[in-house]
Amino acid sequence: MARRLSRTALFGAAVVVVYAALSIAAPWLAPHAPDEVFAGGAFEPPSGAFWFGTDSLGRDVLSRVLFGGRTVLLMAGSATAISVAIGGALGMLLGLRRGLADQVVMRLIDIVMSVPPIIFALLLIGALGPSALLIIVVVGLLFTPNVTRVMRAATLAVVGEDFVLAARARGESGAAIVLRELLPNVAGTLLIEFSIRTGFATIFISGLGFLGFGAPPPTPDWGVMINEGRSTMDASIWPVVAPAVCMALLVTSLNLFTDGVARVVDRAAR
Amino acid sequence: MSRPLARLIGTRLLLSLLSLFAVSVIVFAVMEALPGDTAQRILGRDATAQALTVMRAQLHLERPAIERYGDWLTGVLHGDFGTSLVARRPVLPYITAHFSYSLLLAGIALALHIPFSVGLGLLGAATRRDGPIDSTISAAALLGMSVPEFVIGIFLVSILATTLGWFPPLALIDQAHSVPAVVSTLFLPVLTLNFAMTAYVLRQTRNAMFDVLRSDYVRMATLRGLPRRHVLLRHALPNALAPAINAIALNAGWLVGGVVVVEVVFNYPGLGRLLVESISFHDVPMIQGSALVLSATYIAINLAADVATMLLTPKLRVR
Repeated sequence: MARRLSRTALFGAAVVVVYAALSIAAPWLAPHAPDEVFAGGAFEPPSGAFWFGTDSLGRDVLSRVLFGGRTVLLMAGSATAISVAIGGALGMLLGLRRGLADQVVMRLIDIVMSVPPIIFALLLIGALGPSALLIIVVVGLLFTPNVTRVMRAATLAVVGEDFVLAARARGESGAAIVLRELLPNVAGTLLIEFSIRTGFATIFISGLGFLGFGAPPPTPDWGVMINEGRSTMDASIWPVVAPAVCMALLVTSLNLFTDGVARVVDRAAR
Repeated sequence: MSRPLARLIGTRLLLSLLSLFAVSVIVFAVMEALPGDTAQRILGRDATAQALTVMRAQLHLERPAIERYGDWLTGVLHGDFGTSLVARRPVLPYITAHFSYSLLLAGIALALHIPFSVGLGLLGAATRRDGPIDSTISAAALLGMSVPEFVIGIFLVSILATTLGWFPPLALIDQAHSVPAVVSTLFLPVLTLNFAMTAYVLRQTRNAMFDVLRSDYVRMATLRGLPRRHVLLRHALPNALAPAINAIALNAGWLVGGVVVVEVVFNYPGLGRLLVESISFHDVPMIQGSALVLSATYIAINLAADVATMLLTPKLRVR
C-alpha cells in the first residue's frame, strides 16, 4: 500500500504544479498589470471585471495575486534550492568522510543555528536594504544548516552498507560515491527536505514582506499585499483574503505532498 | 548526577556561551554594513563636514571597528547598552520595559500551549485512528501548520475585534491597568501564538501515542482488563511524552521569532516590535540591544530545553 504516493499527496503535488503553471503564465492570464493604478475604483467588490475586487489604489487584486504567486514561488523556490544544494552536498560529504572536518563543521552549525533566523534576516535585510536577491540568499543560507544536519544523518544511515564499502574498496573517489551510491539512497530525504523547506520559505518570506522587509515595491508579494490591505479591511477584505487563502492552499499542498513522500520513504527504510 | 551527564551539560553550557559571543559579533558586524556612520545618522543628511568631524571625534568613530566592538561589549556587560539615536536617552530602560512585556506574552502563551496541545493530541489518540474525531483534529493541525501567524492574527482581529467588538484590536498592554483589561488585551495575541504552535506538538503526541499503543506492554495492560483511561494515561502517555517535550521545546524557541511578528500585528509594545521599529529608524544602539537580548533569550531557551532532555533521558541518567 505504501509503495506509492497517497491520494492526498498526489492532490498536493497537483496543486503545486497548477501554481507553477499559473505563475509562469501570469503575464498572459492576468487581466491587468499588477501595478496598474485605478484599473477600477478603490475597494470594488468581486465582479466579472475584477474577480477578487480591487484594492485601495484601484489595482486588480486577481492580477496582483497571480504575479505575487510568481514572486513567492520564485523566491521561496530559489532560496530552498540554494539550501538543499549546499546542505545536501555538505551533509553527504561530511557523513561520508567523518573525521575532523565533520566535527568542526557540525559545531559551527550548532553555533549558527543559535541565532534566531527571523532576527538574523531582519538585521541583514535592514542593514543592506531589501532586494529580492538578498532575501533569496539570506533565506537560503539560513535554511542550509538544518538541511545539512538532516542529510548528514540520512547519509550516516546508508554509509555502512555493503555497496558503499564495496565502492570504497574499489577505490572510487568521494564525489563518485556521493553521486552513484549515496544520492540514489537519500533522494527521498532530499525530496522531503525540498518540499518542506519550500513551505517554510514561503511563510518566512511572506512574513518578512508583512514586517516591511520584503521585495521592494512595486513588486507584488503576498506578504506585502496582506500588510497593505489590513489597515483597510473594513472597506474590503479581498485584498487580504485573496493572497492569504492562496498562500494557505499552497503551503497546505506542500505539506500534504511532504507527508506522503515521508510515508513512502519510511516504509522503504523498514 | 552521573559524570558523563555532568560533562554533557558542561559542554552544552560552553557551547551556549560561544554562541552568545558569536551572536554579539554578528549583531555588531551587520550594523557596520549600514550606509553612513553614527555621526551622519545623528546629524542628518545636510550636516557640514566640520560638524561631522567634531561628532566623529566625540564618539571615537575614527577608531577601528574591532576596538569599538570591544567598547560596546564591555558596556553591555556592565549594563550600558548605549544611547538611542532617536530618543537620545539610554537604551537599557526601553529594552527592559519592552522585554518584560514580551516575556509576559510569550510566558502565558507557552503556559497554555502545553496542556492544550498535548491534550488535543491525547484526544486524537484516544479515539479510533483515522476516525472522524482524529481526522478532524489532524486536518485542523495541518491547516494550523500551513497558515502563517500574521494571517491568523489579522483574521482574529477582523472577526473578534473589529466586527464583533469582543476584544480590543490593538494590544496596548501598557495602558491596561486592571486584571480584566490585561486579560482582554492579551487574549488575541496569545490565541494567535497558540494557533501557530499547537499543530506540531499535537501531531507529535498523537503519532507517538499510536506507536506506544501498539506495543506489547500496552496490549498486555488492556488484556489485563484495565480501564481504557488508565491504560492511556498511566501506561501509554509517559512513554509518548518525549517527542512531545521535544516539540514543545522547539516551539519555545520559535516563540522568540513568533512574538516579533505577533507584536507587530497587534501593535504590542514588546521587544520584537521595538527591534522592527528601530531598524526602520536606523537606531543602531537600540537595534543592537534588542537583537542581542532576543538572541540571548533564544540561546537560553535552547539550553534549558537541551538540559531538560538530557535529564529526562533514562539512558543518560544511569551511571
